[in-house]
Amino acid sequence: MRYVIIGNGVAGVTAAFAIRERLDDAAITVISAESDYFFSRTALMYAFMDRLTPRDLEPNERKVYDRQRIERVRGLVTDLDAGAHTLTLESGARIPYDRLLIAAGSRPNRPNWAGMDAVRDGLVNFVTLQDLEQCERLTKRGGRAVVAGGGLIGVELVECLHHHGMDVTFLVRDPWYWPAALGEAEGRMISEHIGRHGVSITHQEAIARVLTDAAGKVTGVVTESGKRLDCDLLGVTVGVHPATEWLSGVRTPPETGRGVVVDRAFRTSLPDVWAAGDCAEIRAEGRAPLVEQIWYSAKRQGEAAAKSMLGDGVAYAPPIFYNSSKFFEIEYTTVGSFRAAGSREFYARVLGKEVSVRIAEADGAVAGFNMLGSRWNHTVFERWIAERRPLAWCMDRLHQAQFDFEFGRQDLTDIRRQFAARRMEAAA
Amino acid sequence: MIRQTARDRIAHDLTHRGVSAWLLAGAITAFYLALYYTEFFTGVAKAVGLDSKWTLYGLLYTLAVVTGGVFMIRRYRHNRYQVVRTSVVMAVQTTLAFSVPQILKMVHQPEYYFSYLWPLKLDYGTPGYLFHLPLGYILYSVVGSLILVPLAAALFGKRWYCSWICGCGGLANTAGEPFRHLSNKSSAAWKFEKFSIHTVLGVCLLLTGLLFATYGAGNRYPMLAKYTYEYQSWYGFIVVAMLSGIVGVGAYPIGGTRVWCRFFCPMAALLGLTQKVGRYRITVKDNMCISCGMCSKYCEMGIDVRSYAQANTSFTRASCVGCGLCAEVCPRGVLRLENVSRPAPQERLVQIAAAGR
Repeated sequence: MRYVIIGNGVAGVTAAFAIRERLDDAAITVISAESDYFFSRTALMYAFMDRLTPRDLEPNERKVYDRQRIERVRGLVTDLDAGAHTLTLESGARIPYDRLLIAAGSRPNRPNWAGMDAVRDGLVNFVTLQDLEQCERLTKRGGRAVVAGGGLIGVELVECLHHHGMDVTFLVRDPWYWPAALGEAEGRMISEHIGRHGVSITHQEAIARVLTDAAGKVTGVVTESGKRLDCDLLGVTVGVHPATEWLSGVRTPPETGRGVVVDRAFRTSLPDVWAAGDCAEIRAEGRAPLVEQIWYSAKRQGEAAAKSMLGDGVAYAPPIFYNSSKFFEIEYTTVGSFRAAGSREFYARVLGKEVSVRIAEADGAVAGFNMLGSRWNHTVFERWIAERRPLAWCMDRLHQAQFDFEFGRQDLTDIRRQFAARRMEAAA
Repeated sequence: MIRQTARDRIAHDLTHRGVSAWLLAGAITAFYLALYYTEFFTGVAKAVGLDSKWTLYGLLYTLAVVTGGVFMIRRYRHNRYQVVRTSVVMAVQTTLAFSVPQILKMVHQPEYYFSYLWPLKLDYGTPGYLFHLPLGYILYSVVGSLILVPLAAALFGKRWYCSWICGCGGLANTAGEPFRHLSNKSSAAWKFEKFSIHTVLGVCLLLTGLLFATYGAGNRYPMLAKYTYEYQSWYGFIVVAMLSGIVGVGAYPIGGTRVWCRFFCPMAALLGLTQKVGRYRITVKDNMCISCGMCSKYCEMGIDVRSYAQANTSFTRASCVGCGLCAEVCPRGVLRLENVSRPAPQERLVQIAAAGR
């Protein structure tokens, strides 16, 4: 049996190892246009900051692929013929498969600002190894950079450019940083933190036009409010979308929507073809279509898709949501949801510190945790949400979820005092 | 490549095995050779009013630890574990490992280093040396080596010694900080480490045994005494002078800061074996690792921490000195150093669930 996987990101490689663990005799091939070896995309910023080498980003020793007999092919897949069970690469090489997994990941969104057509150089995303090379080429101490897009990748790119001594302007379209995940007070705390590092962060401001020289190199931008910002590098980090464009040209494209459409067993509309990770859109009756695009979901989906390809019954359901990040020095842990109907929230910031806690309660049970500036064990929060614990119960036990360094446990007295005061107000 | 300033380039070269790094390694090695085998530094010591080259060396060593420690505390001031640990290392170096022995000497007591114990300091477990000390020192040595060391390692891990007290670790974790990432992370290096460090431990234990035998029966067996003293002098040359001094510190800019501690130190070997059965471990938060590799990169002992973190496995490795830098550099707060007497509640639940299956 020949298993072929398109994409050597975390979903694809996790699937490859999971298949090998169960099948000793299967041929397993992983194809990538981007890199020879699986690397940690989430760590791209540390390579840019010179804290890691690109080789350090590889989570496995290279000899593991030989030992596990996972064949690596470098090339761009240009055709998929589901009838003939064959892939064709850009080089013309043909790769037959018995079972195929599409784990092609996602691509950066490209906004349609005026002047974008003329851009040939100076515009970077921050997703691939090739992006990293572009970023490094354009970075110079004392140079100017504009980064547009107030999400996780944006702030990482800003931190890197700032680290290398660039004069950075961070344009955030929203009234505060990352309203998709942070409340106003939280977003403002992060914005202030970024600003204190010497980054010029501007809210409710977006790019209207990109300026280029005769050679198509970006020289600056004009914002929607008419302000002109000169720059040597323009970072565009306005989200990603599932990589499906390449499928429109193949002989037998699988059904696509936002992503490659799959069922809860990661089966596409084509026989013997599965899809998982960032590129997959999971559709199931009675559920909203699901596109998950973070590291953790890709790893999970890769594992589940491998089971499905091996013939196990799989009915994927995402667990309670969690994610983590770091904004310059402020660590962030989030678990659960803040969107439940009728939910109330408790928010408190530790007096004089960049530490805050936000907890949502719906129907008498905690639903979401947003924790900034200290370390928490997300699995404890997951359990509390699953066990439907009331907010006050959790507040009494909040220390059980702490995961700070030894001697460095965050003092929760102030948070608890604020919670008690809030409750008394409600009681009165 | 990023267009860097000259200062950035030199700093990078020095900390990434560039030409300047090799020059520095050569300079440190030359320093040690001159210190051990010439009287050059005796002259320098006398010129600055010190009694011997070893006092001068102690002073320089202490200065390096204090200067590096200040740098370390500034850099990690947000991390209490690093601040406390580094402060203790600096305090121990300036007192027990430097000024206290000097003071003892002045008041005509033995020049005794309370921060060193057998088997790191072979003399302190050697009858010929030990039994000439006043009783209090003998008791301290014996109780320290045989009870305090293993007991504390079982309770807190070997870190209580290797990264809180020991001078070798003290220098590594202060002045050596810019070189910590150079340790070899390959599985081949791990294999070599297990072989080499236990070999040195075996050699050291055998030597100690022979020294006791010689002390007891050396008069009756002159050949035993002859070979034992020859063995001891080879041990002093190869293990103490070459491996702990020249290779240990000279290799900083090339192999990282803990070459001696990781591959050769008999004390670390003994503490590591105790640590394996003790309470200390690095706890890994479930499914939170992003495989970035910062933990492995900045592990001075060359432990591939990431391989455990991405597999959601809490672990205890014999070589881990508990410096805590893996937990510090982890951008997702996945790791925590802990002394656990029993599994955390959530782990117990998992175990119960697994048992029920």
